[in-house]
Amino acid sequence: MRESIKDRLFQGSITFVLCILGAIALIPLISVVAMSFSSKAAADMNIVNLWPVGFTLASWNYILTDGGLWRAFFITLTSTIIGTILALTITSLMAYPLSKSNFLMGRGLVLFVIITMIFKAPVVPYFLTIRGMGLFNNPLVLVLPHILTAYNLIIMRTFFKQFPEEVEEAAKIDGCGYFQMLYKIILPSSKAVLTTVGLFYAVTLWNQFQHPLMFIQKADLFPLQLKIRQLISGGSEMANITMMSNANYTESTLSAATVVFAIIPIIAIYPWLQKYFAQGAMLGSVKG
Amino acid sequence: MKWKKSISMLCMGALLITSLSGCGSKADNKNETSNEKENTESSVTGEQNSGDVTDIEVWGTNTGYLPVEKGSQLYNFYKDLTGVGVIQPYVEWNGGTTYQEQLNLRIAAGEMPDIFTPVGGMEAGLIESGALLDLTDLLPKYAPNLWNLIPAKVWDVMRANDPSGQGRIYTIPNVINYGRNGGMIRQDWLDALNLKMPETQEEYVNVLRAFKNDDPNGNGIHDEIPTGGRAEARWMEHLFGMYGVATWEGYPQWDIYDGKLTYSAVTPNMRDALEWIASLYKEGLIDSESLLNDKAAWDGKINSNLVGSWTHLPQEAYISAETIEKTTGVKPNIVTLPALSAPGYEGYYTAMNISGISYVVANTDDEEKIQAVMKYLNAWADKSLWNDYYTGVEGMHSKLIDGKLKKLPDDKKSQQNLVMVPYNMIADLDFMTQMLEGEKTPEREWAVSQSIRDMQDNQKYVKSIAGDGIPSSVYGDYSDIQNRTLYIEYASKIIIGEYPIEKFDEFVEKWYASGGEEVTKKARAWYDSVTK
Repeated sequence: MRESIKDRLFQGSITFVLCILGAIALIPLISVVAMSFSSKAAADMNIVNLWPVGFTLASWNYILTDGGLWRAFFITLTSTIIGTILALTITSLMAYPLSKSNFLMGRGLVLFVIITMIFKAPVVPYFLTIRGMGLFNNPLVLVLPHILTAYNLIIMRTFFKQFPEEVEEAAKIDGCGYFQMLYKIILPSSKAVLTTVGLFYAVTLWNQFQHPLMFIQKADLFPLQLKIRQLISGGSEMANITMMSNANYTESTLSAATVVFAIIPIIAIYPWLQKYFAQGAMLGSVKG
Repeated sequence: MKWKKSISMLCMGALLITSLSGCGSKADNKNETSNEKENTESSVTGEQNSGDVTDIEVWGTNTGYLPVEKGSQLYNFYKDLTGVGVIQPYVEWNGGTTYQEQLNLRIAAGEMPDIFTPVGGMEAGLIESGALLDLTDLLPKYAPNLWNLIPAKVWDVMRANDPSGQGRIYTIPNVINYGRNGGMIRQDWLDALNLKMPETQEEYVNVLRAFKNDDPNGNGIHDEIPTGGRAEARWMEHLFGMYGVATWEGYPQWDIYDGKLTYSAVTPNMRDALEWIASLYKEGLIDSESLLNDKAAWDGKINSNLVGSWTHLPQEAYISAETIEKTTGVKPNIVTLPALSAPGYEGYYTAMNISGISYVVANTDDEEKIQAVMKYLNAWADKSLWNDYYTGVEGMHSKLIDGKLKKLPDDKKSQQNLVMVPYNMIADLDFMTQMLEGEKTPEREWAVSQSIRDMQDNQKYVKSIAGDGIPSSVYGDYSDIQNRTLYIEYASKIIIGEYPIEKFDEFVEKWYASGGEEVTKKARAWYDSVTK
C-alpha cells in the first residue's frame, strides 16, 4: 500500500512536470497563432500575447490568396510523396541484398555506406557535383539527393537480417526468386520498418531547406520552407517611403500566419504516425 | 488479408505515381537542363544578347521581394532606362548571413556575380586574390556620373582601404551625404506639461522626470517610458552622444580622442556616459527592458504612445507619427532633440558619411562585360533617373494618381526587388526631401512634414567622425572585437547596475589585451594613410 502511494506520487509528479514542459513548448505556438489573427494596430503596438487583439482574418486572407504559397506547398507535397516512395523502393532494394550474409560483396558495400556517414562531403565539391548533374534550378534536386540515406539503409538492413531464414527457405523451395521473395514475402511483413523509414524520409523531404537554398534560385520552384523564409525575412532598418497602406496586416502578422500554415500539415499527420517513431527507435537498437 | 490488399494498393499507387512522375519529370528535366545551360552560359560568357543588350547579374539586398528574371517587367524597365539587362536571382538575405554563404559558394564555384554587394569584410580577401576588377581608371572614364557624385575625399578613403596597399579603387562605398540618425522627442508631451525644449543635460533629465511622473499622454496611468533603447545598448545615441561618444546605431566608432584615433568604447567619454546612463536606469527614467527590447518591442512601445524620447532616423518620424495616430488616435508632434552636452563634453550625433560598401565588380577580361557594368554604374548614379528608379514599374511598384506616379505600399507577393536603389546607397538630403514631398497628401501632410522638418533640423547637431569608412579588415582575426562581444557584456551590466562603473577600467584593459592593441595599431595606420 505504501509503495503504491509512493508510485502514484512519483507518477503524478512526472505528469505534472511533463505538463509544464508541454505548456512551455505550447506557449510560443499559441502566441504565433494569436499574432496571425491580430490587427495591424495590435501588431504595431506589440501587445499581442496569447490571445488575438483586434481579431481579423486579413493576414490569412492575404497568404491564402497568394498563388505562390500554394504552388510552393504543392511542390513540397509532391516532392515529399514521390521522394518517399522512390526512397523506400531504392532503400529496400539495396538493404535486402546487404542483409544476406552469403552476398560476398556485401561487407565492402556496407563499408562504403558507412564512410559517407562519417565523412560528410564538403559544401563546394558537393555543390559542383550536384550542379554538374544538371540539377541546379531543377525540381528533381528536391528528390534525388535524398532518396538514399545511410542511416535509414542500415535500419532497414538490420530489420531484414532478423527475418526468419526458414520462411525464406520455404519460399525458395516453392520456387520464389530473390525479387519475388522481396516483394511477396519480405516487404509485406515489414510494415513497421517501411513506415518508420518512410516517415524519416518524408520528414526530411518536407523540411528540406538547405538543399533548395543552395540549388534553387528560381522563385517558381521554391519549396514551402524556402517560400516561408522569403515571406518572413525581416525588413531592413530603413523603411521604404511609400503610400500609406490600408491593409490590416503587418510583416509580423503575415509571418505568423505563414508559419502556422506550414506547420498545420505536420501537426495534422503527426498524431497518427507518432507510434511508429517509437518503433523506429527500437528497430535501430536491436542489432548493429 | 486486409493488409495484403492495402499493400498491393500502395504498390500500385506507387507504380502509377512513379511512372507518371517519371514522364513528367523527364519532360521537365529537358526543359530545365536547357534553361540551366543557358543560365550557365550567360554567367560564364556573360552575354546573352537580346537586341544589343548585355545582361549582367547583380547581387544585393533582397528582404523577400520577387527576383528579377530575364524578360520580366522590371528587367525590361531597367533595360529601357540603362541599356543594360539587369538580372538578380532571389538570394535569401537573412541579415547578410545566408547571403554571404550563398555568395561564397558561387564564388568558389567560379561563378561570381558580375557586380555585387560584399558583406562581412569579404572584399579584402577577394581584392588580394585578384578576383575583383580594378576600377581606378575605369570609373572616371566610363562612369563619370558615379565618379563625380561621390566626393573626392571618399574616393581617397576607398584608396586607403585597398588591402594590397597600392591605393587602387576596388570598392564603391555607400555614402550618406547628410546626418541621418539623431535623437527624437515628443514636442506635444513637452507642450502638455508646459515644458520647454531642454538645452542642457540637467534640463533633459528634468524633462524625463516630468515625462515619468506627470502623465504627458494624459491617459491617467503612469505608463510612460521617458526614454530607452534596444538590446546590446543600441539605439541610444541621444544619450551616448552627450558625452561625445561616436556610435552609430549602437556600434561604437573610431574617432579622435586625446589626439589619436581611438575606439570610442574604450574612452573616458564612454565611461562617463555609461555611469550617467546607469544612474538614469536606477531612477527608472530608462525603459527597464531597454537591454531586452528587439526592434518590434521597442517600436511597439513608441507606437503605443508610451515613449517620450528616443534615437531614430528623423526622416522616418512620420512613420511613428502615423502609427501612433492609427493605434491611439493621438496626433503626435515628433521633433528632433537637439544634441545636448554633458558638463565638460561637446555633444553631437554621429554622422557616418561612408557606411559600408555598395558594390564591387568581378574581375574579367571580357570588354563587353566591363562596358555593361560601367554603363550600369553610370546610369545608377545618374540623378535624373533616380525618381524613375524610385517609382519603379507602374502598376507593380507605383500607380498614377493625379498625373503623378505614387509609390504603392510594400508587397512581397507581387513586387520584384528594386535592384537599383541609388537613393539609399548614395543618399542625399535633397532627394530624400523630394521623395517625402512626393508622399504629401492632404491626409498625410501633418506627419510627412514632421519628417522633412526634423531631417533638416538634425543637420545642425551632427558631426562627421575621423573613423568614417574604416574597413572591417582592421579587425583582422579579432572577430570578438569586431562583434563588440566584450563591450556589450560590460556596457549592459554597468547600465543595469550589476557591475559598478569601476569595472569599466577592467573592460578597457581586457579589450586591449584581447586584440584591441593590434586593432588600434591597424586602425591608426589606416587613418595615417587616409590623411597623408
